[in-house]
Order: sequence, then structure tokens, then C-alpha cells
Amino acid sequence: MESTAKSSPVVTGSTTRDREDGTKSDAKQTPRDASDALAELAKQNVAPFLAKYHPRQYAPLRSEDGTTSVPRTVNAGYCYRHQPDSKCSRQADEQSMHQLQRELETLPQDDQQGIAHVWSLFSAAPAKQRKLMLQGILAQCCFPQLSFISASVRELIRIDFLSALPPELSFKILRYLDTASLCRAAQVSHRWKALADDDVVWHRMCEQHIRRKCNKCGWGLPLLDRKRLREAKREIELRATNWGNQPSNNIPDGAPNGTCSVVELPTSGKRKLDVDDQGCAMIKRHCISPAYKPEPDDEYFKTRYRPWKDVYRDRFVVGMNWKHRRCSVKVFRGHTDSVMCLQFEDNILMTGSYDATVKIWDMETGEELRTLRGHTAGVRCLQFDDTKLITGSLDRTIKVWNWRTGECVSTLPGHSEAVIALHFDDTLLASASVDRTVKIWNFADKSAFVLPHPEGVNAVKIDTASRTVLTACDDGAARLWDLDTKTCIRVFHNHIGAVQQVIPLPREIELESHLADCETDHISTSSQNGDAVNILSPILEHRTLSAPPSSFGASFDQDQDRLEPPRYIMTSGVDATIRLWETNTGRCLRTFFGHLEGIWALSADTLRIASGGMDRMVKIWDPRIPTCQDTYEGHSAAVNCIGLSDSRFITGGDDYHVRMYDFRA
Amino acid sequence: MSSQITLTSSDGIDISVDRVVAERSVLIKNMLEDLGDSGEAIPIPNVNEAVLKKVIEWCEHHKNDPQSASDDDDNRRKTTDIEEWDQKFMQVDQEMLFEIILAANYLDIKALLDVGCKTVANMIKGKSPEEIRKTFNIQNDFTPEEEDQIRRENEWAEE
Repeated sequence: MESTAKSSPVVTGSTTRDREDGTKSDAKQTPRDASDALAELAKQNVAPFLAKYHPRQYAPLRSEDGTTSVPRTVNAGYCYRHQPDSKCSRQADEQSMHQLQRELETLPQDDQQGIAHVWSLFSAAPAKQRKLMLQGILAQCCFPQLSFISASVRELIRIDFLSALPPELSFKILRYLDTASLCRAAQVSHRWKALADDDVVWHRMCEQHIRRKCNKCGWGLPLLDRKRLREAKREIELRATNWGNQPSNNIPDGAPNGTCSVVELPTSGKRKLDVDDQGCAMIKRHCISPAYKPEPDDEYFKTRYRPWKDVYRDRFVVGMNWKHRRCSVKVFRGHTDSVMCLQFEDNILMTGSYDATVKIWDMETGEELRTLRGHTAGVRCLQFDDTKLITGSLDRTIKVWNWRTGECVSTLPGHSEAVIALHFDDTLLASASVDRTVKIWNFADKSAFVLPHPEGVNAVKIDTASRTVLTACDDGAARLWDLDTKTCIRVFHNHIGAVQQVIPLPREIELESHLADCETDHISTSSQNGDAVNILSPILEHRTLSAPPSSFGASFDQDQDRLEPPRYIMTSGVDATIRLWETNTGRCLRTFFGHLEGIWALSADTLRIASGGMDRMVKIWDPRIPTCQDTYEGHSAAVNCIGLSDSRFITGGDDYHVRMYDFRA
Repeated sequence: MSSQITLTSSDGIDISVDRVVAERSVLIKNMLEDLGDSGEAIPIPNVNEAVLKKVIEWCEHHKNDPQSASDDDDNRRKTTDIEEWDQKFMQVDQEMLFEIILAANYLDIKALLDVGCKTVANMIKGKSPEEIRKTFNIQNDFTPEEEDQIRRENEWAEE
């Protein structure tokens, strides 16, 4: 009111304003008359104004005392804050209106009436008139009032973006969030929970972890879930675009029952893994039908398989456990001599020992299920699949077993010295021996041939897709052989002393961006530029006619279905180092130092490398990072063998023990 | 082909703008391609003058940017880093930010939409649920029991 003293009406065209000014100056002189005049004014002027605009406009004051029902028809003139169905902001308005009402009641009667009229006029006015009124008021404000406005406005302009924007934009925002922020967003309100927990968001989160370890959270998605991830892609896309187009009772934006139906989503979908197959089947059906339209009922929004947030959570927890070394340790005792080899799948663990037996264990219970006897000397190597187990022994034989019955199906003589390593895939078996040979056995045509080595062979790995085999030899070299031509096509020579292990890295592993800082001392100076290009060029898995000839030889160019050998391999040796090689160039890209003595055991997946050796330690490495990530001690003698999965590793040692480190929650 | 075109905002204001600038909007670009440039003003019925001017300011600054990357690239670059000029540009009140996002979506200006959504994401990042509610003026519509249960459900992410 004090501002009237310096008032100079800016808005000249408005008759309402002029009269108001007039009455205000009257009010200063005689308050009684003023209130009469106001009442009069209301009749003459305010009332018609209200009558003219009110029916079309939402008025917070009116709705509060319940006299008017707010028209539900959508009016393009509504701003975001006053859309009748934006529940949240309206409540906020009502709250502050209550407070204002109380404050108003402390004023004299006629002041109350005057202020109420100003408010009604404003609330009744359409946008254009409101703007004009505000401009007039602003022009009369002095700085303290402007400062008040500026502070209040900052508080007032707060928009619930996720609720107010179309769902696809809300999802877009949520996709920029990290795990922790997403989980906090899910705790904000029912609406936020429905959006932030949705499969659309978490499917995407899972996608970002396929094939690679996330640098932030340190985990990747295991194979099993990757398949489902791909299959669900289309359904998820449909879901993202249809989220908002569902009948309003699916969306909790103020519709009476809406909130409940969506909130049930994540919990009602929580089921055990065993329905996964069913879920995949349904997804497939959706993919086949191009004209697929979501049923209008709630069923569409019910998650029929394990929610992606749960999948993500489980892997996240395992990743965090690896990171923070949180694991349970189980020791399998039973062998009476050094444990030399092992493999585990699902819940089955098999171990081979110098005590000449193979033991089969239940990993959950730790129970010894079966002991296979037959070899007359220590078992050095083994591999099993669904039906068979193949073992190699110091007794110079290879045995094939039906491990479910315990029966030895056949015994293969063929090496003149101890069998140190074997690997089979599909119809091929490769065995490595102290007798300086690697023997390739073909189960299909019963044929066999020999790859001669200068010294004893310690490790062998077949790669069926490229029809090649990797071998590690006592002469300090690892070799890559072409099984078609039976010739050696690469020699990896850098270890000092015997190479104990050689393993390929999974084809899908991505190292390019991490190897920019790799060792350069092994690169021949003349081809430095060419090599740099090679490192960055994408792997050509299926070569086309226009592709350059394979660096591995002409026999790789003749067969379209034959893949190049795995791009990276790793070796370990008695020189206590692990080396990373590029098969294409034969270059050693990186050497991992950390072990103190010879490294007997080496295993790798897309996420990490595990190694163990003479120094009794198990070390965990990231192929992208040259330094050791973690060291586990526990064996009281050398570690001879190691098995690795995404959530655990198992080692066998000279202390006769098998130790399982389990990182699952 | 004239270098200037006219856009009419939802509140009936004509704004003159360089054609290359306006063509940052795929919607406008397609309209100009489909209809040809008749020299008549193009109505933008969903965007008011203040917002349209702001959007044009952004397009003006970014008129020489290479056309936006594909969705796949976006997959890879999940980062919420925003270049400095865009950060300053986005220092507006929430109402304007809201309107910019809607306008970018309507006008199909992907890069601007990305920046807008990232800005909102950055306002959410690192905040507690209560801080988020305060930031966006959201009523907590959970019962204390629900709130407690949901907090426990999400505890795993708090490392």
C-alpha cells in the first residue's frame, strides 16, 4: 500500500487500473467510505470481470472453498502449474493459499475485502491480462519488494520434470543417471518409482555392460543374460514408446486408481530365474508379429520375467564384491597329493590330482560326489562337458569317462611321455606331452596327427572357429598352428624360460582404447605406424571379397566361414610374468609383473584374468591395466591350477587343497 | 532460396531467422523441403516467443556443428558432460528449461534435447530422495512404511 505514494501508473489503457488508483487514495482519507466504495466497485467492475473470465479459468481461491467445480476440459491456456491434473503443484498452491488466507484474516475487514478483490481479479484474468497486471505491479515495486519477488519466484518455479514431461522424455533423462542416482530417484514418489524402476531404463543399463567391464562399477554382464538382453530389445523399445499412450488408468497422473496399478509393476514381476525361458518365449512371439499392439489392459505392463533392475542389481553386487574383496571361501579337502587341474560348470567341480584320481564335487554343499580311479599315475589335465570327461596323466594315457556313471569309456595311448595338457572342442581333441608333441585327435573320422615341438609342451588350446591351436612350450615360445595346413603360423617369443600357459582372450573383449599406452619396446621401429593402425582397426571376423589377404596365410582367405584366430592371447611362464600378445602381428603388447616365482595357472574371461603360481599367490588382473588388481593368499604351497567365472574362482594347490572364492551376495 | 525465413510463435510474434539456423530443427527443415520456401511465415504453434527466441539463440550458436550423431553413439557416451557454452545457456529457471525441452522435442532438435535432458539429469544426480523432492517441489506420496521398504530395496546401490 505504501507504494501508492510514489505510484505512477504505467498501464494507461486500463480503466480498471485507473479506478483502482482512485479508490486507493480515497481509502487513505476515510477507511469506512473506502470499504463501501470497494464493495460498490466490486459490483460495478470486479463482478463483471469475474463473470466474463471465471468460467473458463482455473481459480485457486475458488476451488479452495469448494464452491466451484474446476472444469475438466483441457484448456490450451493452462500453464503447466495449473493444469487440473497436475496434482502435485496444485496441492502446493492450495497450501500456500491457506497460509495467505490465515494471514489475511489478521487484517481489518475492509483491507481483507480489498486484497481479496485484487486476487480474484488476477485469478480470473486470462494470461494476457495477467501479464499486464503483473507488469503494472512490478513497475510500482521498490527494490525490497522486487528482491522479495525474486527470492519467492526462485522457490516457486520448481517443476516435477519426470511427471510433467512425456514418458519417453522422462526415460531419456533417467538414462543419463548413474546407478546410485537411479535408485535414489526411485524413492522420490510413486510416479518417480514407476519410471525409475522401469525395464526401459534398466534394460539400457544392462546393455551398457555387455561385453565389457564398466569402468565406474567394475562389472560386466555374463553370457546368460546377454542373450535375453538382445531378445528383449524390441519389446523394450515398444514399451518405451507406448508407456504414455496407455489408457489413463495405467498412468498415475491424478487418475483415481492410476497410482496403484503402476506401482505394483516391479514387485508383481519379481519371480525366480526359472521363468526366464518362458519370458524369452513371449518376447519372441512379440518380435515375430510386426503388427503387434499392446493389449489395452494392465497385463501389458506387468513384467512377465525377471525385472532388468534385479538382473542389474545381482551383477552390480557381485562386481562390488570383487572390487571390495568380499567373498566367502570354501575349502575342498580329499585329495592325498597335489591338485594339478580343475574345471567347474554350474554346481559341478572336478579336480585331478597327483594321487591319480579325479574327484567330482558339489560346489554348494562341498560334498565329494564321486572319485574316479583308473590312471596309474598323477592326473595332470582334465576337461568335461555334459556327457564326457577326458583326462590326461603322467601314466602317458588319455582316458575318456562317462562322469555321470563313473565308468571309463576308453583309454587312448599315443604319447610316449606324460600328458601335461589337453583341450577338446566339438570333434577335436588336442593333447600336449613331455614327448615334445601335440597330438590332434579327430573323433569324427578317428584320424590323428602330430604337431612336433622342440621341447616338452605345457599347454594347448583349440579354437574351432578359426581351426587353429595354441601351444605353450618349454623352449620359451608360444605357437599358433593352422590345423588345416598343420603348420605353425605364429611364434610368440619373449618369455625367458618355459611357457606354462597359453590362453586366448574372448573374441568380444575390447582393449583398443586401453592399449594406447602399451609397451613400445617390442615394436620394430620400421613398422611403428603400420602397427599403430593395426591396433585400432576393427577385427574382421567375416572377411569379404574386398578385404585384404589374411596375415595368417592363404588358407584363411579361401573359406568364408573360417574366422581369424582370436585377436589377443595371454601367456604365463616360469619367468614370473604374464604377457599379452596380439596374434595378428605377433607383438607382445604388455607384460604383467607381480608374481615372485613361476606362474603355473592362468585363466581369463572378458572381465578379468586370474593367475596363480609357485609363490602361493593368486593374482587378479585387468587386461586393460598393467598393475595387479588384487592378491589372494590362502594356499600353503604352490597354486597349480585355477578356474574362473564371473562370480568366483577356484584354485588347486600343492597343499592338496582346493579353494573356492565366491563373490556372489 | 532466401537466406531468411520467418517463424510465428504461439503468441503470434513473428521472428526472422537465418534459414541455416532454423534448419537445426529437423521439423522446420522438413517443412521447408516439403513445402518449398514460399516466403510466408511458418507457424510454430507449440512454442511461445520467449522460448522460441531462446531456442533460436541456441541454434545460432550451434549452426556450424556437424549434424547430430546417431542414437548408437549416444549409447556409448552416456556421460552427462555439457560443454561450457551450453551450461551457461541452460542457466535458466525450471519453467524455461521445461519449455526448452518440450520445444526441442517438438521441433526435433536432438542435440538441444540432449543438453536439456542432461541438465535435468545433473539436477537429480548425487541428491538424496528428499533433496530431489525439494529441488522439483514433489510431494512425498509414500507412506512411512512404503518409504522404508523402498529405501531398503535400493540400499544395494549405496556403496
